[in-house]
Amino acid sequence: MIHKALVTDAAIIEGILQDDDMALSRLYKLHFPMVLFFVQSNSGTEDDAKDIFQEAVIVFYEKIKAGQLELNCQIKTYLYSICRRLWLKRLSRSSRFSHGMVEDTESELAPQVEDDVERAEQNELKFEAMANALGQLGEPCKTLLEDFYLRSMGMPEITEKFGYNNVDSAKNQKYKCLMRLKKLFFLDYQVPS
Amino acid sequence: MSDRELLELLERFHQHQVTSAEKRELQERMAADPVFAQRVREAELFTAALQNHGQQKSLRDRLNQHHQAWQQENQKAAPAAAPVLRRRTPIQIFMRRYSATMAVAATVAIVTVFSSLLGMEMWRSATQQQTARYVELRREVEDLKRKQNAILSSSTTTPKNASVNPGQFSGTGFVLTSDGYFVTSYHVIEGADSLMIENKSGTKYKVEEIYSDQVRDLALLRVTDTAFTGFGKLPYSFKQKESDLGERVFTLGYPREDIVFGEGTLSSRSGVYGDTASYQISVPLNPGNSGGPLLDDRGNMIGVISGKMLGVDGAAFAVKSAYLLTLLEQLPEHRLPKPISLPKVNNLAGTSRPQQLKKLQDFVYMVKVYN
Repeated sequence: MIHKALVTDAAIIEGILQDDDMALSRLYKLHFPMVLFFVQSNSGTEDDAKDIFQEAVIVFYEKIKAGQLELNCQIKTYLYSICRRLWLKRLSRSSRFSHGMVEDTESELAPQVEDDVERAEQNELKFEAMANALGQLGEPCKTLLEDFYLRSMGMPEITEKFGYNNVDSAKNQKYKCLMRLKKLFFLDYQVPS
Repeated sequence: MSDRELLELLERFHQHQVTSAEKRELQERMAADPVFAQRVREAELFTAALQNHGQQKSLRDRLNQHHQAWQQENQKAAPAAAPVLRRRTPIQIFMRRYSATMAVAATVAIVTVFSSLLGMEMWRSATQQQTARYVELRREVEDLKRKQNAILSSSTTTPKNASVNPGQFSGTGFVLTSDGYFVTSYHVIEGADSLMIENKSGTKYKVEEIYSDQVRDLALLRVTDTAFTGFGKLPYSFKQKESDLGERVFTLGYPREDIVFGEGTLSSRSGVYGDTASYQISVPLNPGNSGGPLLDDRGNMIGVISGKMLGVDGAAFAVKSAYLLTLLEQLPEHRLPKPISLPKVNNLAGTSRPQQLKKLQDFVYMVKVYN
């Protein structure tokens, strides 16, 4: 049983490294129900479970991609402990009664989890702030930046698409947009001290 | 350095297009100027977030797709479960959260209520039983009395007599035939190791059990003492027929160390719980009276005292003599060492009560039970 689980874990990690979409799909099918059950039995909804699980998976995914992942347990355990911690934190924040942290006896079992939880939360904050900032930026800045950064288009292409006289004025425009985006971004996002 | 220049620099830095001189300059300035360093860090964070944004967005989209796929698979499997989960009224939530607690509380309440009701009922029935309870009148000789007795007898009689064990129980019995047969209640001698009879004048005989009838509460004894020569002629006879209601009756017994006379009337021809084998009599009786003879005005033996009802006024009971006689008739011959010849003549009829008692008291004995 354990052996089988280890094989599955290895296959998933390998799949993620090779950008195999099936690996993510399997990850989802294997481990989401567990998180869903945990969140639902702790006064959460399916959407909450989805958010929590995706935050955890993003950290997991990025760590694999960056080669930083050091698993000393099964993926299932790792994801569960992160999701558990995330959800408990969120609960204690939304709770009217308990201002302190929710007591969690399992946190000592995995010291690495705390870092990953922190990372997942920061990730989420940054992502939302960035999405908000992009939304408020307005056209054509938004498309321009998205084209350049998200779709990785070259500057000459952008010049052509937006009808700028030359690459320099396009670059000029890009930096103006970037400055505004930065301002908007830091309105939303506080750098953790 | 303006923000724009900084961003440009970082962009080039990211694309590995910076010279080592520029890099060193940047690091030196960051070390020297903390405000600048903060700006650089912010800019780095921002660019990283922006560059990450695309990747994360696509990753999130993919995850959402997986989620939808998963949802479709699972919703098909359990289409009914989801809507129920969604539409929950506050009452349902409350019930769900506290149902276990409420179940425990309810159980405790139910158990408490029923056990207390049951307990009250049991207590009530127990006390009721106590108020009207049939008791057998054999006397338990308490330690206290034994001591008192010892002191008394040591002062009055010889020390040899004082050391005699008075027995644990005592009752009354009477002579059946002059050649040594003796009758008492079964419950008096129940569980006895050895038996001793003693009358008012201090005559003591050792007796043994011949036959006992637990149902009718009768016991037939026989004197085994070697010194025994016979009781003498019996003054009373045994009545075969049932006596009439309202007849004056009396008894002699040993509720204490001395013989006690008790008188009353026959108040019912059936005993406790409608038992036709006994009479109800209105004679004041006490523990120790059991086994005593019940006689009518003419000196006929009509019953054997058996017990009384606690909590009911003046209700004592005696086994009818007719049953004693049938018992004797039915006894198998081989169980008897000698055939029983009952007295036929009654010497008591027509004499006054004190005269009757004078004659009687030699034939009524205290039965001492040792076990």
